[in-house]
Amino acid sequence: MSDRRSSSYALAYWALRALPHLLLLLALLPVWELAVSTGFITSILVPPPSEIIASIWELYVLDGTIYPHFLITLTETVAGFAIGAAVAITLAVCSALSETFKRYVSPYAIVLNVTPGIALTPVVIAWFGYGMGSKVALAAIISFFPIFVNALTGLLQVDRDSEEMFRSLGASDRQAFLKLRVPASLPLVFAGLKIGLTTALIGAVVAEFAQATAGVGVLMNRFSFQLDMGSSIATLLSMTLIGLLLFYAMEFLDDRVVFWRREGRRSVVSRARARRWAAKFGGHESPETEAASSK
Amino acid sequence: MNMPTQNSGQADTADQAADAGAKDAVVAARGLSKTFADGTVVALEGASFDIAPGSFVSLVGPSGCGKSTLLRLIAGLIDKSSGHLKVHGKPVDAPRTDVGMMFQRATLLEWRTAIENVLLPTEIKRSLTKEDRRNAAELLRMVGLHDFRFSFPTQLSGGMQQRVALARLLQTGADVLLLDEPFGALDEFTRERLNVELMRIVAEVGATTLFVTHNIAEAIFLADQVFVMTPRPGRIASIVEVPFERPRSPSLQTSPEFNEVVAEVRDILGEDH
Amino acid sequence: MPAADADRGDRRSGLGLQQRRALNHAAIFLTIVGLWELGSRMGWLDPLFYPRPSNILRSFWLIYIENGNIWPEIYSTASLVLSGFVAGSVLGVSLGALVGLNGMVRRFVKPYVIVLEATPRIAVAPLLIAALGFGASSKIAIIMLVCFFPPFINTLSGVVNVDEQRLELFRSLGASKLQLMRKLVLPDALPVIMAGERLAMTSALSGALVAEFIQRDQGLGALIMTYTRNLNMASSFACIFTLTILGFLIFRFMEWLDRRIAFWNSEEGLQRVGARRRKRMEGLA
Ligand SMILES: Nc1ncnc2c1ncn2[C@@H]1O[C@H](COP(=O)(O)OP(=O)(O)OP(=O)(O)O)[C@@H](O)[C@H]1O
Ligand SMILES: [Mg+2]
Repeated sequence: MSDRRSSSYALAYWALRALPHLLLLLALLPVWELAVSTGFITSILVPPPSEIIASIWELYVLDGTIYPHFLITLTETVAGFAIGAAVAITLAVCSALSETFKRYVSPYAIVLNVTPGIALTPVVIAWFGYGMGSKVALAAIISFFPIFVNALTGLLQVDRDSEEMFRSLGASDRQAFLKLRVPASLPLVFAGLKIGLTTALIGAVVAEFAQATAGVGVLMNRFSFQLDMGSSIATLLSMTLIGLLLFYAMEFLDDRVVFWRREGRRSVVSRARARRWAAKFGGHESPETEAASSK
Repeated sequence: MNMPTQNSGQADTADQAADAGAKDAVVAARGLSKTFADGTVVALEGASFDIAPGSFVSLVGPSGCGKSTLLRLIAGLIDKSSGHLKVHGKPVDAPRTDVGMMFQRATLLEWRTAIENVLLPTEIKRSLTKEDRRNAAELLRMVGLHDFRFSFPTQLSGGMQQRVALARLLQTGADVLLLDEPFGALDEFTRERLNVELMRIVAEVGATTLFVTHNIAEAIFLADQVFVMTPRPGRIASIVEVPFERPRSPSLQTSPEFNEVVAEVRDILGEDH
Repeated sequence: MPAADADRGDRRSGLGLQQRRALNHAAIFLTIVGLWELGSRMGWLDPLFYPRPSNILRSFWLIYIENGNIWPEIYSTASLVLSGFVAGSVLGVSLGALVGLNGMVRRFVKPYVIVLEATPRIAVAPLLIAALGFGASSKIAIIMLVCFFPPFINTLSGVVNVDEQRLELFRSLGASKLQLMRKLVLPDALPVIMAGERLAMTSALSGALVAEFIQRDQGLGALIMTYTRNLNMASSFACIFTLTILGFLIFRFMEWLDRRIAFWNSEEGLQRVGARRRKRMEGLA
């Protein structure tokens, strides 16, 4: 009950925050509409808002044309990202563990970095066909590097004092790696994953532009060439949606995993650990009443 | 409590002393030297001393005189260039678990709660038992942080973080404690309070302690012996005995006898301190 | 002891650690290339799709020297990238600074920034081409668009995240808004802004390629597209490696620029500028 009330407060708070933004938008829309209808702005460059809204209504509600394409692009992005991330993190861990491995692999990683991955689009399509395979491949290729370089940087930068503290405790290399380096690298790993996600989406969409039968990129191409600007922008919106969706999914994970960097999460995790501790090992006193989360 | 005069005498007849040291010394060094790889920096030269069980030794000296180097040598974190060094009668050639170290920064792991940080040393040795957990909680109570067991380091103040680090140091079970300016980054009040606490706790567990500081008064107040060091090359210029009875109260620091010792140390360090 | 022996052994064969490593690098590279060539000749790799290294080398010869047909395309792509980058990033930095200065403006711009950040900017390419028509202007518009964002966002965040204490110091000194900007905010934000510029430069090349893929008229992107469609994969790869070299040059250039501008981030930069300033000061004294 109290939960529901506090969440409705939160909602009201957000509504209040969003209100000025909405008002501004609502005030701007008629100006925009007027500017286009009086020919002040050419409608081919910037369609009037009414046209965009009509297109959104048609694509998303009336016939829902967008959804199958949306799902295809989303799948391609996620699959490509997953492959790119898996390879990148594996190679980063190997490079962090072995100086020799790093020495002989890094030149290729650098070559891959300075080559614009997008340049491979036609080749990748020739290799993997017109279907989803080529989109997944391009997404994987271009999301690889940002993830690799962030993970490796994270794994290699260790606090000298902490390292020495571990050595003074007689920790093995394996323990120092698992208990110190890996957790300490996580914030950077997640930063890399977030960049990788954005690039994966770009890869999927660009491959769709080049040659494909389905996906929001295809739709975008088609509408643009028909000079249907309203629908083009409505389609662009779906890419923004994919971007936001994936970004916030990653943000959510980041929040859970790298909780110690998040103001709000710290006290939640701290309370949870206190409770788990009490349940497992028994507390002399109830942790709930304690100042575990104080400050 | 300790036997300084005989030991310093022995240091002169270096050779036999080298393999012996004082019979019951916890840390024994003879002609201990460290030159860093590039060969130009002599961080420590010819240090000879014995530290008796349960005694508290302070190291003072200007920046760069080799205090941290000496501590890291004893901890086995770096190799000596020449000389002899034994802890508990055994030569130091690798990091040892009977020697614990604490740094100027708390070096807590941010993703672990206070108690999980305290348990780290044990976790590295073996799997945890109920006894370990109770012990860690007890240590946190000892440093006055029982209520904050489940807080993360970033939720604690600097002084509290250092106290967690102290609890972690005690959790190692080491009986030689090396503290490198442990409270150097804290304000005067907190530092003084923690010093008194440290003295009490160390006496309670009966550990042998080496404590690095820049503050002469603090060094004397805490210690049985003060190693006064001078730079370029880093060496122990003198070992000053501190005659005061324990337990000591902070008011000791205003007494004329105390100031005499301060003056003596200041004299050895020279004008610049 | 064994270490010393190994040392002597090395000296005898005239090889230091550096040379030995270089040799290893070369060996690994040649093995990969050799296996590829072999695989193609043995028929494990379809040479139609996976061109032989030897064929790629021949293509280099063809497109650079014998036909020389790559030069105008390189020129076309490079000039587009340069003009789009300069226009887009200058716009990005100035707008970022403007928006960052005023808290009110910042608050109202923020939601749009979030939305636009999540949108793959390159995806606007077909739209811009439709609006502006085929040709250089739509290409430059695309490059400007992709180059605008990284510097804009980095400048904005750099300007906003000025150290509170230093701000107070400047205020207590009675600094004007302009002085604050010139002497504190911009220098403080420079490393971040430069990071944005680097990102922009990389995206500029990608933006140009996408525009060329779609327009298929001129530039390296169009050339790669044409070669691949004709299944002349060796030449396509020669173009891609050309882009690698171009990308590398751009990377080094941006690095150099970064060191010049944000000199206080590197030891070498500090020494260089320090020496210069000392000379100047002594000249004045
Ligand atoms: N890893 C290293 N490599 C080279 N020289 C070093 C290294 N560590 C310390 N030194 C040098 O050894 C000398 C002694 O250093 P040390 O850290 O022991 O001084 P310190 O007495 O602890 O100083 P402070 O009070 O500033 O901590 C210094 O001149 C320092 O430059
Ligand atoms: Mg030191």
